[in-house]
Amino acid sequence: MACINCNSTTSPTMKDFQSKNIFTWCTNCGNYGIHTAIRRALVSKKILACNTLTCFDIGCNGNGSDKIGGYNFHGLHGRAIPLAVGAEMANRNVTVIAFGGDGGTLGEGIGHLVHAVRGNYNITFVLHNNLNYGLTTGQASATTKKSMKMNCSPDGTNSELLHPLKFVLSLESTFVARSFSGDVKHMSKVFEQALDHKGFSFVEILQSCPTYNKETPHEWYMDRVYDVGTIDGYDSSNRELALKTAQDQEEKIAIGVLYQDKNSIPQIDRQMNRNGQMGIKIETEVYEETRQYDISKLLEKFR
Amino acid sequence: MNFKNRFVVKVVGESGQGVNSIGEVLAKALKDNGLYIFGYREYPSLIKGGDASYQIDIDNIEIKSSSSHCDVLMCLSRSSFKKYLRSVRENGSIINSVVSLLLTPEEESFVKENKINIEFIPAKDIAIELGGKRIMSNTIMLGAIWQIFGLEIRKMEDNIREIFSKKPDVVDINLKCLNAGFNYDLSKLIRPKLEIRQTENFKDDLLLTGNHAISLGAIAAGVRVFYSYPMTPSSSILTYLSSVYHETGMIVKQIEDEISVANMAIGSMHMGARTLIATSGGGFDLMTEAVSLTGITETPFVCVLAQRPGPGTGLPTWTAASDLNLAIYSGHGEYAKCVIAAHDIASCYTVTQQAFNIAEKYQIPVIILTEKQIAESIFQVDRMPQDIPIERHILEGEELEKITSLDRYKNTESGVSPRWLPGSCDAVFDANSDEHLSDGSLTEDAVPAKEMYEKRIRKEEYLLKDLPEPEIFGSEDPDISFVGWGSVKNTMLDVMNILNEREKKKVAYLHYEYIYPLRTEVFQSYAKNAKKLVLIENNATGQLGNLITSKTGVLFKNKLLKFDGRAFFLEDIIEYIESEE
Repeated sequence: MACINCNSTTSPTMKDFQSKNIFTWCTNCGNYGIHTAIRRALVSKKILACNTLTCFDIGCNGNGSDKIGGYNFHGLHGRAIPLAVGAEMANRNVTVIAFGGDGGTLGEGIGHLVHAVRGNYNITFVLHNNLNYGLTTGQASATTKKSMKMNCSPDGTNSELLHPLKFVLSLESTFVARSFSGDVKHMSKVFEQALDHKGFSFVEILQSCPTYNKETPHEWYMDRVYDVGTIDGYDSSNRELALKTAQDQEEKIAIGVLYQDKNSIPQIDRQMNRNGQMGIKIETEVYEETRQYDISKLLEKFR
Repeated sequence: MNFKNRFVVKVVGESGQGVNSIGEVLAKALKDNGLYIFGYREYPSLIKGGDASYQIDIDNIEIKSSSSHCDVLMCLSRSSFKKYLRSVRENGSIINSVVSLLLTPEEESFVKENKINIEFIPAKDIAIELGGKRIMSNTIMLGAIWQIFGLEIRKMEDNIREIFSKKPDVVDINLKCLNAGFNYDLSKLIRPKLEIRQTENFKDDLLLTGNHAISLGAIAAGVRVFYSYPMTPSSSILTYLSSVYHETGMIVKQIEDEISVANMAIGSMHMGARTLIATSGGGFDLMTEAVSLTGITETPFVCVLAQRPGPGTGLPTWTAASDLNLAIYSGHGEYAKCVIAAHDIASCYTVTQQAFNIAEKYQIPVIILTEKQIAESIFQVDRMPQDIPIERHILEGEELEKITSLDRYKNTESGVSPRWLPGSCDAVFDANSDEHLSDGSLTEDAVPAKEMYEKRIRKEEYLLKDLPEPEIFGSEDPDISFVGWGSVKNTMLDVMNILNEREKKKVAYLHYEYIYPLRTEVFQSYAKNAKKLVLIENNATGQLGNLITSKTGVLFKNKLLKFDGRAFFLEDIIEYIESEE
């Protein structure tokens, strides 16, 4: 079943991904740029709004679920990934993008991230990393710097910082990128490559939070970021190199596609009972397959 | 307590000793010889060691429950002898292969008082003498028990050939062992008077568990995705569906945790793929936030909740019906949901199909309750019930042409709004876990918030009209009127068959299969005419009773509640009925 309102010549526009709803983020919030960049990437990849599902968790980013065109699903805190992964398994014709904050994703949802990377489900996941829990008024997250004084951590958190890229790169991930919320153009290019990738595309966005993270505003990142494309002969198929390059989050911060496995096989194509490897090739999308099935052959084994 | 045609054999031994294999072979052979069986397993939560049992109740009519005592106990280990000795009936027999089994004085007097015959078979020695291995002592024991039934050895030989068809080199030795057991002198033991069915086609009868029936119901209903995290007693759904996934093409995936299972199911169902998930109490606890999410996003959702005793880890491999409250009250907030309790093969098969139709029609979560007693017991049926036609209520084709984004959560009389799939038209919407307007846009305004909240709850009123009333079985003028749900029905119906033969007290039983929302009309007239109303549940607090009382005001003064990890045995109910004046 394709969209009944569109035909093969329909091209998406930025307007298709707009919403009538008014943004509710703080002035200078990094979310504005991220939303614009995602829209641009979708238009540039000619993905129609009716063929897009954006999945959000709860947090400031999630409040943007009804402020971007296409189909949306605003799920539970930390659970955007399983929601998106389930959707992707059902219908490959719809592009699925999930968004999550550093709070939900690296807090209570961290198990989902690990297993979605392992399974290499074909979604793009955008980590809004603003180094705190914004919507609950600025508590420390797993990415909050150790010394930083936060709401509810008056002397600073005493847990060690979790480095998102080192973590994800250690997991046999197939696409790992980083960008920064102050550079819409760079983000769009990274998102385009993430959308192209067949498998789990992990994109960390270093996001400014003008209200609760005064230490690393846009300007702070601007002074430190550089694209890996500017490194002579950077080989994005080298995981060790990516790990090394991603390490520095303080002085010189690498952005761009740090690692990609171009031979990545997404989860749905790993299904041995459907992918042809065992002699059975199923071409339909899972969602199209619901009909009455005859169980009489299966009953033979119970006689 | 003896029941006219029922004969009970119990195989006991250490977990890992082959108790299950013997039980399975025996159950199939008895079925193939024209008898009805019901297989009941007890086992500890560990892989090797501990005591396990496989009890087969045998009758000449369809049965679905177990007796508390057996006529023949077949014992493979010392510890299982000690544990299960007292489950042998008066005049019963024990066949064992335990070398130099010594009885304590208490055991001796129990055996004497109950006139129990004990026969030792040196099965391991015989196996080795015949040129076989120690493990083949199980085949000798199988031959020995087959002797008791007085059925032809030839038919059991066929089963042995079938079992070892992939290992032809051990067929002959196993046949020798079988015959050695079959011819071992057990003439002292009491033989059952078996009434063999006279029909021709009993070989076509099916032997399967409740979990098999749920799996098959799901396949028939067009379920194309199954996600699960293993948890007894739901796990064998995952086991079975993965074992046939080449045939079905279904996506069958073991997932990292139940939270993910539930959220993935929501994602897949949202996109239109019929998705089933299954768990037990602890796993369902983890899912409840997601259940609540389906409430507000109005996403169809179907979960099997296979009950076992809690709280905490409880008795992981035993049975209970103590999670009705958990299912009904799962998830924060208030919203429509449906809770159905299956009880046997036909019920598991049908209810699974109905659950998807209800979930998709009303866009609500549906929870199918089973119990370990249903999920893992072995039932014999002559056929599966008729399939339920699939009803999806998803807009397609021309129906989509006039749809706008504002229709998705449109406030309708029934509370049910149009549903269509992402990718099918350009009327995009937000399935929003925040309170929302009719296109899913977030709102915190009082008027639309209240309207939406009411709309979602209102679906329950319409659903209620769609659901069947409870069913009444037994006497129309009963002395005792029972009310129950779940596996209780299986025992209750068997009990009523036995009591009819004895022509004693008149008993009726009202069974709730569709429990929530609760239909009360039939119950109310049943209760009004009852001389003695008795609530019967496999839990400690009478959860269904409390629900009924809250909806009807009818109080249950008499309760027969069991919560020791065991299902209701025949004797439990018969003793209760007969102890009444």
